[in-house]
Amino acid sequence: MSSFNCDDKQTLIAYLYDEVDTGTRERVDAHLAACPRCAAEVRALGDVRLELSQWAPPDAELGFAVVRNSTRESEQRTADVLRPARWWQTVPAWAQAAAAILVLAAGAAIANIQVRSGPDGFTVSTGWMPVPVPVAPAPSEPFDGAAIERRVEGLEQQLRSEIKSAREPEAVRAAAAPADEATIRRVRQLLEASEQRQKQELAFRLTQFASEMDVLRRADAHRMTRGLVQFDEQMFRQQQLLNNIVRISGTPQQ
Amino acid sequence: MYATLRHADYESRSAVLDNSENVRETDRSVFQRMVATDEELVARSRDGDVDSFNQLVLRWERPIYALAYRVIGRDEDARDVAQETFLRAFRALPGFKGQAKFSSWIYRIALNLCRDWIRRKKRQPVVEMPEGVDIVELAAEQGATESIEDLVARQEMSRIVAEGMTLLPEEQRTAIVLKEYHGLTFQEIADLQGCPLSTVKTRLYQGLTVLRRHLESRGMTSYQSEKES
Repeated sequence: MSSFNCDDKQTLIAYLYDEVDTGTRERVDAHLAACPRCAAEVRALGDVRLELSQWAPPDAELGFAVVRNSTRESEQRTADVLRPARWWQTVPAWAQAAAAILVLAAGAAIANIQVRSGPDGFTVSTGWMPVPVPVAPAPSEPFDGAAIERRVEGLEQQLRSEIKSAREPEAVRAAAAPADEATIRRVRQLLEASEQRQKQELAFRLTQFASEMDVLRRADAHRMTRGLVQFDEQMFRQQQLLNNIVRISGTPQQ
Repeated sequence: MYATLRHADYESRSAVLDNSENVRETDRSVFQRMVATDEELVARSRDGDVDSFNQLVLRWERPIYALAYRVIGRDEDARDVAQETFLRAFRALPGFKGQAKFSSWIYRIALNLCRDWIRRKKRQPVVEMPEGVDIVELAAEQGATESIEDLVARQEMSRIVAEGMTLLPEEQRTAIVLKEYHGLTFQEIADLQGCPLSTVKTRLYQGLTVLRRHLESRGMTSYQSEKES
């Protein structure tokens, strides 16, 4: 049987990790007893291994799970999502919904949104401007026919003078009319485009929100299942423990 | 439809509370899944049982995350690597014929992803220490068995070890992580790293020697006393 060589580091490392056969172990033991340098090296490497055990990864909450996407069920193994449990996923969906409502309520309070119903239907107002107070009708005056006739005549004169003045720049306005129409058409197009964009944006946001809520709901469901599984396991152990206790208590004393 | 099945499962649980036979049946299936071997769970997963695969994930997520964290040194990236590992495993499950252990197979996927991460980032792993750690709170969590001084010393030691690991080439670091923290044999590490057995031993020896020098340079007392004696 050949003796161990100081330069045989491969055998030394195998000895350190206890992956050697009995014969090799005995040879290395014999060598270490006689060679202080190799003995010190083995002790030092053993200490390094001891220190390595101090290095632990963070106690991260993982909770990965495969969640099958129901919209692409027919496709094989392409519609599966793994989601890690990040901090926002550990908050239940109901709490997130409550937080969203709270934020909306706070926003509404800051914007001072007010909704009123009245004879003219619902009125929505925002901001901190004073709310217009409905003007009460003036108390009725005694009927005076001559006064009314004078006011009507005055109004007629005013109307005539306005019509006259309006007819004078007719030519100028007629020339400007096509340009105005083009502008109006353009403004209308812009408004329609803007409206369309807003609709699309709203639809996109709603779809995104629904999708996120769906995924969160599934993640919650999975977490609950895990909890149930753990609970089941505990129950099973307790049941076993109880069975053991019952069995032991039923055994007659020697 | 997976989500629907989950809800149906809850409904059935609540609906049959009075029926002990059914409850026992449900518990039995859950328990059977929990005590099943990796190979049994893999077989069920290949037949389309997603719950069985999730049981495998539950069983292996922490070792895979720990492996990724120690190899690449970043918490968030280690989570991403672990997530991607299980995703790839699930997709590749039909092609997994059981020629290797499930653990070896999934370790291989994780190590390949770690290697890709290191190549992509073209940088060495960093020592990432959690911020805002309250030592007093931590000590309280540890209970009466560990004093604050011990805890601080352990944290410091952990930091120095992590720092030393960043000095090692990726192959040596991975070999040490697989050996020290996952208890793999030399042969298993050789298979995972795709190298001869002798290379694994050399990597371990060289890695431990670099770590030894690093710890000595940081004034670790055990080595000081060794020298003094």
